[in-house]
Amino acid sequence: MNDRPTLVAESQPVATRVDPVTAAVIHGALENIAIEMGHKLMRMSYSSIIRESEDFGAALTDAEGGQLCECKMSTPLQSGPIPGYIRGVKRRLAARGETIREGDIIMHNDAYAGASHGPDVAFCVPVFLDGQLIGFSVTTAHHLDIGASSPGSAGIVDAVDSYAEGLQFKAIKVYEEGRPNAAVWHLLRDNLRASDLVVGDMEAQIKAAQIGAERFLALVRQYGLDTVMLAYQDLMDYSERLMRNAIRALPDGDYSAETTIDGYLDDPDAKRRDLKIKATLRVRGDEIEVDLTGTSPQVDDRPINLPFEGTVDCAVWLTLRSILLDSAVYGDVPQNGGLTRPIRIVAPKGTLPNPTFPAPVIARFCPGNALADTVMKALANCVPEQVSAGIGNLRCIAFTGLHEGKHWVHMEILEGSYGGRYGMDGMDAVDTLYANTRNNPIEDIESHLPIRVNRYELRDHPPAKGKWRGGIGSVREFTFLSNGAFSVEGEGHKYRPWGFSGGEQGSTSSLLHLRAAGDEAQMPSKVPYHGADATDRLLALGPNGGGYGDPFERDPEAVLNDMLDGYLSTEQARADYGVVIIGKSVDDPATRALRASALR
Amino acid sequence: MKSIGVDVGGTFTDLIYCDLDTGSLEINKVPTTPDDPSKGVMEGIHGLLAKVGRKPDEIDFVFHATTTATNAVLEHKGAEAGMITNEGFRDILHIGRHQRVEHYSIRQELPWQSRPLIKRRNRMVVGGRLRPPHGEEIEPLDEDAVRRGAQALKEAGVQSVAICFLFSYLNPAHEDRAREIVAEILPDAFVTTSSFVSPQFREFERFTTAALAAFIGPKVRTYITHLEASLKAAGISGDLRIMASNGGVATAGMVSEKPTLTLLSGLAAGVLAGAWLGEIARRRKLITFDIGGTSADIGIIVDGKLAETDSRSTSIAGFPLLSPMIDIHTIGAGGGSIAHIDRGGAFRVGPRSAGAAPGPAAYGRGGAEPTVTDANLVLGRLDAHDFLGGGMKLDVDAARRAVDGLATKLGLGLNETAEGILTVINANMANAIRSRTIQKGIDPRGFSLVAFGGGGPLQGADVAAMLEIPEVIVPPYPGITSAMGLLTTDFKYDAVRTAFEVSGAVDLAKLNRSLGQMEAGLVARFEADRIALDHVKFSRSGDLRYVGQGYELRVPLPEGEIAEANLPQVWEAFHAAHAGEYGHAFPANPIEIVNIRVSGVGLVPKLARPAAPPGGSLAKAKVRTSPCVFRVGGKLQSFETTFYHRRDLPVEEAFPGPAIILQTDSTTLVPPGASAEVDQTGNIIITLGAAQ
Repeated sequence: MNDRPTLVAESQPVATRVDPVTAAVIHGALENIAIEMGHKLMRMSYSSIIRESEDFGAALTDAEGGQLCECKMSTPLQSGPIPGYIRGVKRRLAARGETIREGDIIMHNDAYAGASHGPDVAFCVPVFLDGQLIGFSVTTAHHLDIGASSPGSAGIVDAVDSYAEGLQFKAIKVYEEGRPNAAVWHLLRDNLRASDLVVGDMEAQIKAAQIGAERFLALVRQYGLDTVMLAYQDLMDYSERLMRNAIRALPDGDYSAETTIDGYLDDPDAKRRDLKIKATLRVRGDEIEVDLTGTSPQVDDRPINLPFEGTVDCAVWLTLRSILLDSAVYGDVPQNGGLTRPIRIVAPKGTLPNPTFPAPVIARFCPGNALADTVMKALANCVPEQVSAGIGNLRCIAFTGLHEGKHWVHMEILEGSYGGRYGMDGMDAVDTLYANTRNNPIEDIESHLPIRVNRYELRDHPPAKGKWRGGIGSVREFTFLSNGAFSVEGEGHKYRPWGFSGGEQGSTSSLLHLRAAGDEAQMPSKVPYHGADATDRLLALGPNGGGYGDPFERDPEAVLNDMLDGYLSTEQARADYGVVIIGKSVDDPATRALRASALR
Repeated sequence: MKSIGVDVGGTFTDLIYCDLDTGSLEINKVPTTPDDPSKGVMEGIHGLLAKVGRKPDEIDFVFHATTTATNAVLEHKGAEAGMITNEGFRDILHIGRHQRVEHYSIRQELPWQSRPLIKRRNRMVVGGRLRPPHGEEIEPLDEDAVRRGAQALKEAGVQSVAICFLFSYLNPAHEDRAREIVAEILPDAFVTTSSFVSPQFREFERFTTAALAAFIGPKVRTYITHLEASLKAAGISGDLRIMASNGGVATAGMVSEKPTLTLLSGLAAGVLAGAWLGEIARRRKLITFDIGGTSADIGIIVDGKLAETDSRSTSIAGFPLLSPMIDIHTIGAGGGSIAHIDRGGAFRVGPRSAGAAPGPAAYGRGGAEPTVTDANLVLGRLDAHDFLGGGMKLDVDAARRAVDGLATKLGLGLNETAEGILTVINANMANAIRSRTIQKGIDPRGFSLVAFGGGGPLQGADVAAMLEIPEVIVPPYPGITSAMGLLTTDFKYDAVRTAFEVSGAVDLAKLNRSLGQMEAGLVARFEADRIALDHVKFSRSGDLRYVGQGYELRVPLPEGEIAEANLPQVWEAFHAAHAGEYGHAFPANPIEIVNIRVSGVGLVPKLARPAAPPGGSLAKAKVRTSPCVFRVGGKLQSFETTFYHRRDLPVEEAFPGPAIILQTDSTTLVPPGASAEVDQTGNIIITLGAAQ
């Protein structure tokens, strides 16, 4: 097999609308604007979910919501949905007979009209040139609290419908023609917990979006609207061409895979547990259809349904581009609507990936990443050298409490890990697939919150065996220093990440609540608001990703290194990999003999 | 006083001699000797001394910028290092911020996992724990475990050890004690602690900085010791001063203890030279613009002050680095940047570079892809027979062939393509300057662009025009400006400490005590390095943020005992800095002092204002005229362009563009519509025309 996929039409120029020099200059300028927006948002914002975890997005769009550029620092699941937010905003406004005016700023979080889910609130600044709407500058960010039934915006796993998830903003003008809509801001302050932080973050979002709008306008004034828009269409064509070329290089055929997610493991209702995700990829020429038929029906009254627009589409697109146009191999490819043109997604109405309003969706993060993993698993049969074995999924814990009558809310995203890859081991303890957030420094957490971190390192469980081993998950332990509560949305407590091509399955994650009183309780992967006393501890073991290939083919030196680094014992090296280690070196003849005898 | 500056680069070692009393200058350039850079350094010094007819013992100071540390990290060739850290936290270096480098990639590598600075097998854990807010001990240090860990590291044969405990920035006691124990067991190892290297919060970044120190420490120490010995052996008894990334120099002893100080050594010298040149040209606002073969380095100077990076924006080879550092923005755009059509059919220039080998097609060393240098040659902006003072002949036909190949693919003409290459690379550079000016609320239209390096004077005027910067300053020796910068430095030692004080509840006694201790620490350091304190100036600053934010901005703190009445000015300064940086302030919100900083600057005699050049005449300087292609008013046109020899130009006599000015180490372009003149200190000042 080829080391690298070859592309058709490599290094051939193509007919463009704008001369290549001007196009290159405008593309650079657009990218620069998006980076500036993200940079400023990240630095101005208050809550750690934005500034440390980088769970935000920033992008410019045209007047219809087509994405011109996105900020490279932002997390994919935030910038990706922005075109959908704008389409949703326009739809909602049109339905109410409202028009967009210069100086308006529009707030939106409607998961049934483009938003990724309720906590991811967008602020959209329309851009006008001489009275004509030419586009939008948009920032999105995950907010700490959105006024749901219990504190925090993660782990609201018992919301029974869209109304229970918190406030719904369906294209609300927080500024009208330059004037703040005071009533809306009062409503926000009165209905959101930790409102100083949340409103501060919203203000930062608005400022960053306004800067984007100013820069966009300056660019259009410099080069002319037509030239900028034509250059942008060229840019979309460019991304589309790359994607089509990559798809064309795949053998035509149907590739499918199925995985299972926990759902609500402790729920007596079987409809809420052990849910199927199925993906069939139909590759035809330079297009792919991703068919999710066969995935479980929606869960009517639990929020693990996936908004089709905003979550499902992004999960599919991002996975396909990460595999087919892997940036470590291909370099930067501009993220825009062109990339998605050759991809069609099908999900029957009323299923997990295409729920019907008001089915709740707020806790869609983990099932969405499982969907991404399933798409990768289907593609593994087509491009085995470009995928990883099964990923360990993420989990999110919200810690909350009251201090002097005010809420504190802290969200921790617990990392997963990657499966082994062709020629490479899996990445250890890292965010996976469609999320790419950052952890919070222990020294920041303990300086600002009544939480102590007792442990944060790789877990002791040996990695999944393989020619290229799976990544290793983390272990984290927290102590509550005052009375409070936690809630959890996670996956992977029951189902192990898939092994590939002879590699071993990964291992599940778990969460243990160790109470001050001395008893302990294994928690399922979804925990609604759950009280905790001072000195209670939470012990979270993260998942190990799946192994790739036959472990008896693993390079003995790599096995030795794993032993020296404490991932394996000498006995495991021998039994699991057929590698004989004496002291600190490999006994080559004994290893050859052992491996040969294992073949017989 | 006689000083020598030595700047070791990838290809050449640049040297400069200056007699600070008479102002006389001499330069020398020798090939770098990568295996042992001190060889090239010594050869260069001998050559330089011969040129000026001085004896080794007449030299008072040798100022040196070294890439030893940088290369060790970039090539991942450092020491076998060990670590002692908290029980339960063995893998902070390995997990990092649990974020991938690339969003859209399955096959990426994480530098901290695939090339660890300290392998897991060498990371030993011990009991002992501190907590905020003051570093109170909640579990005593397990000294026996430290001993066992050190013993294990000794058996593993490590050359260095980093000791890294949580919250050590609040209280270094556990780290200091562990260091003593480790030093007893490993007396020859390089041992450092995270609180010594950089006492700031965020454990991954601080531990990584300590790990970097352990990784490069033995190599830097060996190199410096070896160089000092070579200098002594050659009879040079003057002191060796090493350029640090913070824009000051340090003694050899200081650098041996804190090797991370030198990670951006060479780049810092260039910006300093720019600052000095601006000062003697009486300009207050400068953008330094240094273009080499593969990269462009950009620095900003306002009122003689260099912008420093904040503590979250510095990294090397993918590893975060908490070390005071001049804010230098580097992009992959230089003379060797290759123009190409990428896989999707788009026209791109760089970041891939032809480097020194094979180099641009015009070098005739086998390079076939068109580069920025080739584009300049095709357009007539370089002299094929007078490149590097005639030291190198350029192959015009090879350059044309390379550019023409691309032109055919693009369906453009030869000149259009060549000019397009320059437009794209200049736009990339202009974007880089924008990110450090306009995006931070600084208007570049009031600045001067100081253009140097081999390529800066050639691109400077076009880049300035894109940003509406009114003038470009080209220093006398653009190609050795960094070495010159070495002779304009002062001693600069920094102290930093995390404070976490919130407006309305500032513990003034603690704040004053901390600042006092930090100043006392610096005084002790200067005294230990035998630097006279009457030449030392201290300044204070703080890294502040609104409570809840995660990024800080630097503002000055008052001198002397800080009282309640002094605080409002600090808060005001922060609101103003926030508004400047982000375009908005939140005046009602409480503010947190995150870090406090003290800088001690020990003044060192500097390069004097250069004497006015002898001055010739335009007639004498004129080499010839020949056609060059420029885009003016949107149209490509050929202009009869005058070529001059720089050494013969008259002083303070303006001449119009288009003109090309030749000299040994660079070529300067004065575009049509602009004018240029040599000033009293030998700089060329290009004034850009109103319409470009």
